[in-house]
Amino acid sequence: MKTLQKLGAVAISAAMLAMGTVSAGSQEFNDPFRDPALESLRGKKIAYLPISIGFDLAQAWGGVVKQQAEVYGMEFSSQDPNWNTDAMAQGFTALLADQPDVIVTQNPDMQSLARLMKQANAAGIVVVQLNMAGAVQTDAVVAPDFIGMGEQIAKKVVEKCGAGTDTSHKVSIVQGVLTGGVSFYQIQGINKVFAENPEITVVSSQAADWDASKARAITETVLQQHPDICAVIDVWDGQGVGTGAAIKQAGLSDKVFYITSGGGAQSMCDMLKDGTFSAAYNYDAVGMGRDAWTAIMVALQNGQGGGAIKTQIYSPYRYMTKDDVRDGTCFNPEEYARILR
Amino acid sequence: MFLITVLLFAVFALSLNNFLSTANMLSLLRSVSVLGILGLGMLVVVLGRGIDLSMVAIMAISVAWTMQLVGSGASSLSAALALGLGFAVLMSLISGVVIAYGEIPPLFATLAMGTFVYGFGRAHLIIGTDVVYMPGDIGWIKSIGQGSFLGVPMPVVVAFGMAMLIWAFLRFTKPGRFIYAIGDNASAARIAGIPVRPMLVAQYVISGAICFVAGLITATSVAAMNTRVVNSNMIYDVILVVVIGGVGLSGGRGNVRNVVVGTLLIGVLMNGMTIMDVQYTLQNVIKSLILLAAIIADSVLNPRDEQTGQQGDI
Amino acid sequence: MAQAGLLTKLRYRFIPDHVIGEILSKKWIDNAIPFLVLLIVIAVFGLLLPNFFSAGNMSNTSRQLGEFALICIAMMAVIVVGGIDLSVGSNFALGNFTALALLNLAGWPVWAAIPATILVCGSVGLINGVLIGYLGLRAFLTTLVSLIIVRAIVDMLLLRYVQAMSLSFFDNPVWDFIGMGNVLGMPFSFALLIVVALIGHVLITRSSFGWRAMAIGGSRRSAHNIGLPVRGIVCSAYTISGMLCGLAGVLYAARLSGAGSDTGMGMEIMALTAAVLGGNSLGGGRGSIVKALMGAIVVLVMTNGVLRLGLNSGSGPMVLGLTLLFAVFVDVRWLKNRDKLLNKVYVSPTLVEMPKSRSTSEGAFALNDRLSDVEIIGLGDVESPEDVILDENDVLYCGTRRGDIVRFFPPDYTRHEVFAHIGGSPLGMTFDRAGNLVVCVGGMGLYSISPDGVVSKLTDETSRSTFSVVDDSRLRLADDCDIAPDGRIYFSEATVRYEMHDWPVDALESRGNGRIISYDPATGRTRTEVRKLIFPNGVCTARDGQSILFAESWACSISRLWISGPKAGTVEVVVDRLPGYPDNINRASDGTYWCAIMGMRSPALDVALRMPGFRKRMSRRIAPDQWLYPNLNIGCVIRFNDSGEVLESLWDRSATNHPMITSMREHKGWLYLGGITNNRIGRIRLPDADPTWSSWTDYWGKTA
Repeated sequence: MKTLQKLGAVAISAAMLAMGTVSAGSQEFNDPFRDPALESLRGKKIAYLPISIGFDLAQAWGGVVKQQAEVYGMEFSSQDPNWNTDAMAQGFTALLADQPDVIVTQNPDMQSLARLMKQANAAGIVVVQLNMAGAVQTDAVVAPDFIGMGEQIAKKVVEKCGAGTDTSHKVSIVQGVLTGGVSFYQIQGINKVFAENPEITVVSSQAADWDASKARAITETVLQQHPDICAVIDVWDGQGVGTGAAIKQAGLSDKVFYITSGGGAQSMCDMLKDGTFSAAYNYDAVGMGRDAWTAIMVALQNGQGGGAIKTQIYSPYRYMTKDDVRDGTCFNPEEYARILR
Repeated sequence: MFLITVLLFAVFALSLNNFLSTANMLSLLRSVSVLGILGLGMLVVVLGRGIDLSMVAIMAISVAWTMQLVGSGASSLSAALALGLGFAVLMSLISGVVIAYGEIPPLFATLAMGTFVYGFGRAHLIIGTDVVYMPGDIGWIKSIGQGSFLGVPMPVVVAFGMAMLIWAFLRFTKPGRFIYAIGDNASAARIAGIPVRPMLVAQYVISGAICFVAGLITATSVAAMNTRVVNSNMIYDVILVVVIGGVGLSGGRGNVRNVVVGTLLIGVLMNGMTIMDVQYTLQNVIKSLILLAAIIADSVLNPRDEQTGQQGDI
Repeated sequence: MAQAGLLTKLRYRFIPDHVIGEILSKKWIDNAIPFLVLLIVIAVFGLLLPNFFSAGNMSNTSRQLGEFALICIAMMAVIVVGGIDLSVGSNFALGNFTALALLNLAGWPVWAAIPATILVCGSVGLINGVLIGYLGLRAFLTTLVSLIIVRAIVDMLLLRYVQAMSLSFFDNPVWDFIGMGNVLGMPFSFALLIVVALIGHVLITRSSFGWRAMAIGGSRRSAHNIGLPVRGIVCSAYTISGMLCGLAGVLYAARLSGAGSDTGMGMEIMALTAAVLGGNSLGGGRGSIVKALMGAIVVLVMTNGVLRLGLNSGSGPMVLGLTLLFAVFVDVRWLKNRDKLLNKVYVSPTLVEMPKSRSTSEGAFALNDRLSDVEIIGLGDVESPEDVILDENDVLYCGTRRGDIVRFFPPDYTRHEVFAHIGGSPLGMTFDRAGNLVVCVGGMGLYSISPDGVVSKLTDETSRSTFSVVDDSRLRLADDCDIAPDGRIYFSEATVRYEMHDWPVDALESRGNGRIISYDPATGRTRTEVRKLIFPNGVCTARDGQSILFAESWACSISRLWISGPKAGTVEVVVDRLPGYPDNINRASDGTYWCAIMGMRSPALDVALRMPGFRKRMSRRIAPDQWLYPNLNIGCVIRFNDSGEVLESLWDRSATNHPMITSMREHKGWLYLGGITNNRIGRIRLPDADPTWSSWTDYWGKTA
């Protein structure tokens, strides 16, 4: 903590020094737009409130944003509701009283924070939603296009299990929190594709609430009921670990096509490598953190106040299998966790 | 309760065609082995008129720490195991001391300790995500989750071994008998010269050590320890397993047999419903309805009324 | 004997040690620790969080408190009857879902959806209640199972409906008002909480339902045995709990409009923590709305604060766990040791410097055996006849420990019957002009018995003193009474700090804890006349009718209180330096007064009285049966006149026939003796007395 603060301070002072020397030393090359831009950022307060800071995505997002925030002399604070929606709503409500300039959050479901975000926007606070979009549009939603990604996933499954393949055509889907944006929109995309491919039978579509043990229990049950299942889809690799473990335990790793998606933490690469996941969509959480930072800069510099300009920022994602895993393909969440401490 | 289990078993055996297959029986046992082991720890505590709500937290954090130590290469497997076990024992020792000497009701002491252990673990022991993955090269310990012995999955073997151990401890050793005496009537036990307070501490320590074993099985069989399990309803399942088998929460009444019956009852139920293709959430409803029926049946058979009920026995 | 220094005198005069004990004995002190924790938590987070006290934050916090405290009250309601409700969190989630589903999907109006939601949750509570109350299931297990069932049902319902629900957004001004509006500057939910809390408080503390619930929690068996509808009340407590959860669910739904599968997850633990932190004991019988509210605030501020501090993930729960452990530890210790502490500090002896007593070896107090030939009446038929009295038909009345007034019939006083039953411990007695027997009843107050044996209460309370910590309005130990010529009844109350059976402890304290009170039957008013008397005991109207004489036992003196005339209201000492403890006073036939001396002073106790610190140590460190007490084994009867001269004394050195004397009554040439530790009444002929004189005719006959 201390060293980080020091580092931050050093970074800031270095930046200031650089600025000073630049402006003093070379008048003619002075960038007239830089100072106002930096000024619009300096001293601003960013509050980070994901559903939990204990998982890879939140660590990567927060880590990137915090790093940048410190470089530009902004205050960064974070809260950890530890997967508790009530606590998160409490935290958000408290933020309304604190009046930071930016709230970076992640909806636990579509409704719970909707009203609060509206209030925050009304109070001129910039609200950036990550990954899980809520029922209200705010300054920015930074997330992969989950509906599109769902369609892609479903297409991959149809490829493996659809008409013309010698399989049972049975598919099981493990959802997250049903009303969570990640889950909700992926399922929409998946259902859309499956509707076009009637031979696919979805034998189970249950909610694991982002909980790996629940995912494991559900999948265990499904596998016992349908040992001939062709594909399993899990909407998030974090809980997908459990799903994968159930498949592995049933000895079906080779027979079942198990596809999931996630932010590309090291565990994803490991799971792909050891065959727990057959394939995965990686939407690169570090990249999303950068997108979020961009959104913050845009919102603060446009000077219109919170909620004036609303953008959907779709982060890129890519398909990965075992063959795509190289050293450094995935990020190590621990590094970002340390930054956040 | 035993009768109900047998009855259910018979019904499922007759009506479901592959219920009785060896594979299914083993998967039934395997699915409840961790629950059963935790139930044994809870039994030891409940017999002495206590309750341990910190079991899941201790299990998750101590094992996750072990995994992390091995994974980050900070220590060898055996050292990491010793540290993890030491942590579990130390935390339960604190619970025990606080309960026995501080006289805080166990419900709160262990609740607070559970919260503390989780918090401490997340803040100071486990860096990174709240799921700690098992390093692939962890060595022999992997086999207690994934291996098998004479065709029987290791978790079942371990659970069986633990059950025998606890049974022998409660039945044949002096401390084991003392636990019953304390649970029956703590003040009489003290007057009779039983070291009540040290025994109470010992009960929690045993429970803590058992948590670590259960945690190892959990972690090695899914190749990860998810510390978020602390936030789940798992501890309630453990209590249910113990109580449904017929162990009295007011202490002094119950045996390993009760835990085994309770565990099997849950196992048979879940397994039967799985084969019958009942959805996971609906399974929960049915499971708890049957449990409720069992409790009602129990209270009809052993009625308690205003005269026989103990004061403060909730 | 060493004289106490000036400093010591001042110290005992002005430092009110006894107040500490009295405060500790109050019921509200129960809440001291939870309240302290509350203050500390608020102070700590107020310091740590910059705008903790800002209006915005207060309003936000109180809005959440509205919901959470309702759950805590729900939990408290069942804890009070000796149960526990683990299903509050699930039930809350069910309430939230029901409200949203009814509004968003079924399109019900708000006014119908809210009662329906409360009804749904109430029925969950009712099921719990029936199972636990009527079927006698264990509360912990039953509600544990209903926690799981309700949670599973909510999960199933969510699976089915939540996606449809999350797409529609219910918009209605009333609904928004419930979720975001203010009443009198307070958030709606907080205002609602205040209303519920007030109703609940009245229900618990002022209604028979609440009292019965408390009784059941205190001892279910006893409550059942005295015929309380235990099952019904237990059942309704769970139903109330369920309904409150429903109400909280509605508020939550209105505030966030979101139904997630983790709504209310773990809330049972939070509510339980809050309830216990607030001081409601698990197991029942001890609980209140205030306790639930305090606990709720502590838990909410702490969880909220810890979250907002933005500590490392994990540090929050760590702090929370430690605080919980510490708070419960302190509370448990406090509860356990409060009574011990109270026992140690309640007794607070004060400095009394007893003047040297009159000699009993010569003069009026010279020992003799004039009482050794006492005749015995009713041996073994009466217990503790503190006072005796005779009516005009020579019937002898006395009170007994069993709360009866027993009467013996002349001529031989062997036939007896229970004249009336009052209860308590009947002590001093007197006849009024109409022939009603007025009785001071220890533990009850002042009672009157008509000649045909009908008991009626005259008074049992007086106005409360302004600065008294103990509630001194109830009469604890009315001791002796007499009636002034105008009909006003003057009676003594020996102590306001102790119950009757603890009189020796009052003696150890020797503080002015007693008082003289008057009751006027004409107006029905009770008035405290003189306070701070040292165990005022016997009361007797003087011959002049303008004053009453009263004895102060531990002060070993007899004083006069002027009740009319120029000196009205003043007190003057009549007899002092008595060698023993004066008890009842009565008129004698020759214009003088009889006074019973119930026990003799001892030099050891006299010295101890000069050393309050010594007595305090004694009361703390050794068992009560080893304390120095006044000796009440032997005493005498003295006769004194209006000017305070002691004329004679009657002793019994053998102390076999009638060992202990607390009262005496002259009647037609006989002196009748009563003693509070005796099982008999004694009488002895007075050779020189007027054989036709009776007290009633003498007193009332003149004026009638």
